[in-house]
Amino acid sequence: MTATAAPSPTGPATAPSVRQPTSQWAQGPAIPVISVLAALVLGAVFVAISGKNPIEAYAALLLGAFGSPYDISETLVIAVPLTLAGLSVAVAFRTGLFNIGAQGQLLVGALAAGWTGSQFPDLPGVVLLPLTLLSGVLGGAAYGGVAGWLKATRGVNEVITTIMQNYFIVFVMHWLLQDGPMSAPNALGTPASSPIGAGAMLPIIIPNEIVPLSRLHAGILLAVLAVVVFWFLLWRTSLGYELRAVGLGARAAAQAGIDPPRRMVLVMAIAGGFAGLAGMIQVSGLFHRVYDGFSTGFGFDAIAVALLGKNSPVGITLAALLFAAFQRGGTIMQSNASISSHLVDIVEAIVLFVIAAETIVRAIASRRGTPAEAL
Amino acid sequence: MDASAARPFEGGTAQQMKRLLVLAFVSAIVATSCGSLGVLGGPSIKVGLVTDVGGLNDKSFNALANQGRLDAQSQLSVTTSVTESKKQEDYVPNLTTYAQQSYDLVIGVGFLMTNSVWKVAKQFPNVKFAIIDGAPANDKGDTENLPNVANLFFKEQEAGYLVGVIAGLMAKNKVGKATHNTVCSMGGIPIPPVDRYIAGYQDAVKTVNPSATILNGYSNDFVDQAKGKEVGLNHISKNCDILFQVAGGSGLGYIAAAKEKGVYAIGVDADQKDAAPGTVITSALKRVNKAVFDTVKAVKDGKFTAGDNFFSAANDGVGYGTLDPVVPSDIKSAADQALADIKSGKIKPKDTVQVKG
Repeated sequence: MTATAAPSPTGPATAPSVRQPTSQWAQGPAIPVISVLAALVLGAVFVAISGKNPIEAYAALLLGAFGSPYDISETLVIAVPLTLAGLSVAVAFRTGLFNIGAQGQLLVGALAAGWTGSQFPDLPGVVLLPLTLLSGVLGGAAYGGVAGWLKATRGVNEVITTIMQNYFIVFVMHWLLQDGPMSAPNALGTPASSPIGAGAMLPIIIPNEIVPLSRLHAGILLAVLAVVVFWFLLWRTSLGYELRAVGLGARAAAQAGIDPPRRMVLVMAIAGGFAGLAGMIQVSGLFHRVYDGFSTGFGFDAIAVALLGKNSPVGITLAALLFAAFQRGGTIMQSNASISSHLVDIVEAIVLFVIAAETIVRAIASRRGTPAEAL
Repeated sequence: MDASAARPFEGGTAQQMKRLLVLAFVSAIVATSCGSLGVLGGPSIKVGLVTDVGGLNDKSFNALANQGRLDAQSQLSVTTSVTESKKQEDYVPNLTTYAQQSYDLVIGVGFLMTNSVWKVAKQFPNVKFAIIDGAPANDKGDTENLPNVANLFFKEQEAGYLVGVIAGLMAKNKVGKATHNTVCSMGGIPIPPVDRYIAGYQDAVKTVNPSATILNGYSNDFVDQAKGKEVGLNHISKNCDILFQVAGGSGLGYIAAAKEKGVYAIGVDADQKDAAPGTVITSALKRVNKAVFDTVKAVKDGKFTAGDNFFSAANDGVGYGTLDPVVPSDIKSAADQALADIKSGKIKPKDTVQVKG
């Protein structure tokens, strides 16, 4: 994937048309659907090999994800950060960059939001919530921007830098929360920040009378808004046009008067902003403080979400919902049908494998001279 | 609803497959709901266990808790199930799901869950909860006991004391490779349960072998083996020849350092003799399985006690693990004597660390 998508100066100079979102969408869904179905079938084989009933497994999975209003609300709670991190990966993809750093950017966003929220706990919500939100987005954007800047000015591969950034922030977070400036004196036996002020919290949007104990918070509205922003930015602004042009062929874009390096910094900042928003939402919507080691893995699942969703707004949303349903349903499947929730990991891995295989097939096809569609 | 994730991808064959899948799902749901009716008839209680992010294969805490669950299932004929938490985000929904399904007892493993259990237990006053190694903590982070939550604590200092007796005497009598009269320990993060182990260990060494040099350190991590190994190699360079780890996965690195340099190590929580046979001379045991089993039994017998429940030498909640053949029988007798004295209250191991560095 990286090899074909990377916008090196020697990349594809013959860029396909940039104006193709609708046609691409129309022909896109077949492969993701097939890959998911293939993964489910193969997963069923694994279940059968382990001596369990695959139908029972999937029924429990489905019931766990959507069986009750509470289950649905929990699935949506997981889908929110997955969608946002998916947008983060996808916007970079569209510009030909591979953002492995959504996880790190998410954590920076969470730390920045948690810092603001806990530092000024007495501010009223109308001031504190926007401030917290801004901190999260800007924190993630700054962190992502660094990787873009290194790529643009020094040519450092963003895959390497973003992976390193992921590790870096884990340790910084450890220090900050354990005995650094953000650690709370009374932190529940685990490294964590002080709680954020009430004004920084995202409200629960489903009343307790309708779905008791629902944790579904206003972050879902922010996620929906972010999906719209993603679509508008990429397909309704000239900046988005330029970003996609760089993604389809950096050399061609440069010929057309676009400055690819500057676009790289910008797009990595935008990617970081989406992921930072995800981190902010986990803090403001769920935990109301920053815990060391929370939100593990969203940024990595996001790569699968973006790939499965073909980097399109609708696709990412659906893929995030699917993966959220897998995660929520997987835990219930384990408790109610005694089937290891790692089945879900297997299914997710196979989905990725099939999609990657499609990419390889297309790459081979284009090398043989067969006209291949743009990825 | 069932196939909503796939709905917008309408296509010829995909649609047919979708219909087949929906049909399969519906029939499966019918089949499973019929199946579960049979279980409902029994008088037995239902117990749900929620692991922390360490997962079931941590060879320590969660694995032991799950062992206790399985023992309870087979010996007390109760219905049990387990849910692995993959993220900290999962604690609240995993606990809630069991409570919503009217489980009689829901057990959260580990101090990471103190706030989550508090949140959920308040909402389900008729469901009993238990936390391994913790008490319910409110949103401010303060302990707030609830009438339906049992806090399962361990007297780690007693287990630490027992292995401390063994280590101290091994060093004093210069048994095998323990030639420098220096005993050491490494914690993960200096939190109370970790420090209680180390406190008891040091207390015992000072008691049985006052001339011994004692060193202690922290890896500041419970997962990273490399950090544990680094502390271990540092300790060995300072003449340590008995290394007691209290750092979970990170401690396995501490044991690895001992193995590499040919000195002795002591395991923690579970019996870790298999981690490095010949190197691990014994382990300080924290019988989380027993705590789980006893709590299930208490609920079944109507003897559930909310608030602090202590598991100690007196009720076999702590102890020492398999001894390596290198440990002479007189040292084993000394350890057994210490165990008896702790049980009778003659020895009360200290619970605050004296040698920090």
